[in-house]
Amino acid sequence: MQYKKLYWMISKDLLSECRSLRVWPAMLLLGVVVALMFAMQTDLPPDGLRRIVGGLLWLTIFFAGTLALDRSFAAEREDGCWEGLLCYPVSPTCIYLAKLIVNVVALAALECVLIPLFAILTDVPLLAHPGPVIAVAVLENLGLAAVGTLLSAVANTGRQSSYLLPLLVLPTVIPLVLGAAEATRLAVEHDFGPAWWRWVQLLAAFAIVFITAGIVLFEFAVEE
Amino acid sequence: MLETANSRSLYDFLWPAVAAVMVTTAIAAIFLLAPTEETMGAAQRIVYIHVSVAWMGLASFVLMAVTGGIYLFRRDLAWDHWSRAALEIGWLCCSLTLATGSLWAHAAWNTWWTWDPRLTTAFVLWAMYSAALVLRSGVEDPHRRARMGAIVAIVGVLDVPLVVMATRWFRGIHPKSPHMEPTMRLVLLISVVCFTVFFAMLLLLRRSQLRVADMLEDLQAQAEA
Repeated sequence: MQYKKLYWMISKDLLSECRSLRVWPAMLLLGVVVALMFAMQTDLPPDGLRRIVGGLLWLTIFFAGTLALDRSFAAEREDGCWEGLLCYPVSPTCIYLAKLIVNVVALAALECVLIPLFAILTDVPLLAHPGPVIAVAVLENLGLAAVGTLLSAVANTGRQSSYLLPLLVLPTVIPLVLGAAEATRLAVEHDFGPAWWRWVQLLAAFAIVFITAGIVLFEFAVEE
Repeated sequence: MLETANSRSLYDFLWPAVAAVMVTTAIAAIFLLAPTEETMGAAQRIVYIHVSVAWMGLASFVLMAVTGGIYLFRRDLAWDHWSRAALEIGWLCCSLTLATGSLWAHAAWNTWWTWDPRLTTAFVLWAMYSAALVLRSGVEDPHRRARMGAIVAIVGVLDVPLVVMATRWFRGIHPKSPHMEPTMRLVLLISVVCFTVFFAMLLLLRRSQLRVADMLEDLQAQAEA
C-alpha cells in the first residue's frame, strides 16, 4: 500500500515540475554555464585534463543540483502545500523516499546533459566506457540526493533556506566529490583495478549511510 | 535563592582561577620544559597547542551529536544547551586548529595549506560547525532550533569517518605517529590535559549561560502573559 502512495507522491512532484518547469530548466542552464566557464579556464594538455575533468564534472553537478535539492521543500512551503503534505495519510519515510527519488531523477537529467557536454568541451572520452561512469553517477546521485533531501527539509525551516542549503550540503558531500572524481578519472584511464573498486565502495557506503540516516531523521526534520 | 547566589559566586571565582592555572601550566610547560626540536626549531612548539585544540574540536563535535541525539528522544532543552555550547566551543577549537595547523605547515612543509587528510577533515569540521551556527541563528523557536541543530550534528558525525577515509586515500603527507622524545611526549600530555580542562570549563560556563538565558526568556514570557 505504501508503494502505491510512494508512486503517487513521486508522480505529483514530477508532474508539477513538468507543468510548471520552475526548477529543472534553471538547473540545467546553470550546469551548462558552469561547465562552459570551467572549460574556458582549463587550457591544459590532454593528460592534465584527464586528471581534473572528473572533479570539474562532479563539482558542476553538485552546484547545479543544489538548485533542485533546495526546491524539494521550498516549493511546497511557498505554495502553502506543506501542511497539506503533512496531513497526507503517509509516513514521513514515504515523503522522504518520494522526494529523494525525484531528486535522483533531476540529477540524472542533469548528468544526461553535462557528461556529454564535458566530453565535447574537454575532448576527454568520458563515455568510452559508459558502464562504470553510469555506475558512479547512480551511486553519486543516491548519496547526494540522500543528504540533500534531508538537509533541504532542515534548511527550509529557517529564514535563510536558499543560501543555507549549499553551506550545509557541500562540506558533507566532500567524500562524495572526491570519490566520484577519482572513480571517473580511473574510468577515463581504463583502470578498473582495486583503487577504482575502493572508490565505488566509498560511494556505496556513503549512499547507504545517508539513506538510512535520512529515513531515521526525516521524521524529526518535518515535525511541526 | 540565597544559596544559589552564594554557590554561583563561588562558582564564578573558582572556574576562572582553575582555568588561569591550567593555561599558565600548559604555556610554561611548552616554553620552559619542552626541548627545542632540531630541524624545526621553536616553531615545533605550535604542535602542543595544535594537538590540544584539534582534539577538543573533534570531541566537541561528538558531544554535540550525542547530546543532540539525546535531545531528539527526550525533548529536554537542557540537552540542547549542551549541544549548542559544544557547537560554539568546537567552532572556536576548529578555527584555532586550522590557524595553528597552517602556521605549523608553513614552518614544516613551506606551504600555508595542503590538502592533507587531517587538515581537510579539520576544514570540513569547521565548515560544518559554521553551517550549524548559521542554521541556528535563523530559527527562532527553541525546540525547532534544537531539532535542526541535532540533525545537522548527527549527519556531520556520520560524515567524519567517510571524510577521513576519502581524504586519506586521496593523498596524505601528515605525520602519522611523529617520533617524540619522552619530555616532548610529557609536555604534549600536560598541554592536552590543561587545554581540555580549560575548554571543558568554557563549555560548562557557556552551557550555564544558555540555561540562564532560556530561564530569563521564560520569565519574560510569563510576565508578559
